[in-house]
Amino acid sequence: MRPEPLILAFDTSAAHCAAALLSGDRVLETRAEDMAKGQAERLFPMLEEMLARHGAGWRDLAAIGVGIGPGNFTGVRISVAAARGLALSLGVPALGVSRLEALAHGLPRPVVAAEDARRGEVYCQGFGPDTAPALAALDAAPAARAFVGSAAEALAARHGGAALAPAMPLAEAIARIAAARRSTPGPRPAPLYLRAADAAPPADPAPVIVP
Amino acid sequence: MAQTLTLLGIESSCDDTAAAVVRLAEGRGTVLASVVAGQTDLHAAFGGVVPELAARAHTEKLDLCVEQALAQAGLGLTDLDGVAVTAGPGLIGGVMAGVMCAKGLAAGAGLPLVGVNHLAGHALTPRLTDGLEFPYLMLLVSGGHCQFLLVRGAEAFTRLGGTIDDAPGEAFDKTAKLLALPQPGGPAVETEAALGDPRRFAFPRPLLDRPGCDMSFSGLKTALLRARDGVMADGALRRQDRADLCAGFQAAVSAVLAEKSRRALADYLALAPADPVFAVAGGVAANRAIRAALEDVAARAGARFVAPPLALCTDNAAMIAWAGIERFRLGHRDGMSLSARPRWPLDETAAPMLGAGKKGAKA
Repeated sequence: MRPEPLILAFDTSAAHCAAALLSGDRVLETRAEDMAKGQAERLFPMLEEMLARHGAGWRDLAAIGVGIGPGNFTGVRISVAAARGLALSLGVPALGVSRLEALAHGLPRPVVAAEDARRGEVYCQGFGPDTAPALAALDAAPAARAFVGSAAEALAARHGGAALAPAMPLAEAIARIAAARRSTPGPRPAPLYLRAADAAPPADPAPVIVP
Repeated sequence: MAQTLTLLGIESSCDDTAAAVVRLAEGRGTVLASVVAGQTDLHAAFGGVVPELAARAHTEKLDLCVEQALAQAGLGLTDLDGVAVTAGPGLIGGVMAGVMCAKGLAAGAGLPLVGVNHLAGHALTPRLTDGLEFPYLMLLVSGGHCQFLLVRGAEAFTRLGGTIDDAPGEAFDKTAKLLALPQPGGPAVETEAALGDPRRFAFPRPLLDRPGCDMSFSGLKTALLRARDGVMADGALRRQDRADLCAGFQAAVSAVLAEKSRRALADYLALAPADPVFAVAGGVAANRAIRAALEDVAARAGARFVAPPLALCTDNAAMIAWAGIERFRLGHRDGMSLSARPRWPLDETAAPMLGAGKKGAKA
């Protein structure tokens, strides 16, 4: 029996495959491999390699932390589906952690986490005081003195604040947040999209049916 | 000693999230549980399946369906011999969610993983339901696919022909949309067609004048639109005109499928099978007029007609579990790097018909 609970966290919400293994408070390993595609193929071999390097197996895990975005829709689904399958087979909780919360983890407050959402928009969330995560136009993002995330520099330049680097690697932050919430896991992890699916009703109206 | 195998199947390649448990014992397959969670309402407003909406729904439903299927079967993951999952072809977002969930289940439970071709799932279903022996002729006719397959083995398929554009089920859906009928279009168009005159509108029978078993249905949709616009006044369509349009459309699809089936049967019978069988699968095979036409063609050719029950004919996961069992028995296992494939033709040697671009054949 391991003295400390073992937490495995992973994230594929952007062009990477990232994972961290936490034993109690101690980070055993954290790694991120850059890749634009291939996360679905790489994720499990990478996790199994990481567990093996620390003499652990799937059955040793006490909980799973998973990045739920916002970010690349397909990437987010890769990790969330994997985490839900693992939680079911291992009988341990899977905890979803937002990318924005993970970015801000361990940084002094107040801070606004902001990720580039393209199309002139950002995914953003304020911490201390906390605001709800939202998709906002670059101009409409909340003002702050400190920003973190891929859109931090753009917002800092706009508002005269500072762009901070995250306090720790993304997967480690997800693992630490998941570990802290392990006893109150809440609902199953679900992707945090913040942006609606691109789907428009058909342009040509159906005919009116008359007798 | 006869082998007993119990596999979980997972399917998420289009707009149905499904999980099932199938057992092979004493040479026969039994469906212990089959759960299908559809998404019809989700896509209804869009007149077709929206891939991103489908992927979103699959991601949050897959594990719930698996839990439900295991509960129905009264089994735990430790009672299983493996996990089979649709690895393509299909809408990639959904397929990927299914593959990742299956990897999580297989890894955590220490079970082998078997990737299954969705089309093989359909094509091998008559062996689960009717214990068919190889070789048999299969017509797979659904919302996304339409092809004739000579099924020679669990991993040996020869495609005799298929649609070069739309699938008939898709044509039924689009027809329903053009005629203000509800989705899915198949049942709605069939109901209207029963009240109409199939001879009033002369719809084309594409590719009937050409040899072989290839088909085309996209022109039919255009012809229907023109015919509709020809009888509409001020954006209004009379109920009887709609019924006649449906009847004419269904008659055209039926005639094409029947004639191409006749040709495919001739090719198949040339192999002199001991017990000739013509099997069908896919939602379109549930259409009574089409099914009657296909039964007639089979009877004339002297082949037995086999159609699995509707629940195993449309998308489901029992067929994936069964196809997984067939592959498993042949020694097939996939690793944790299993890829989800949007394109994956069953017959890799056949010339591409669909999506024959640089990425290769679609199905």
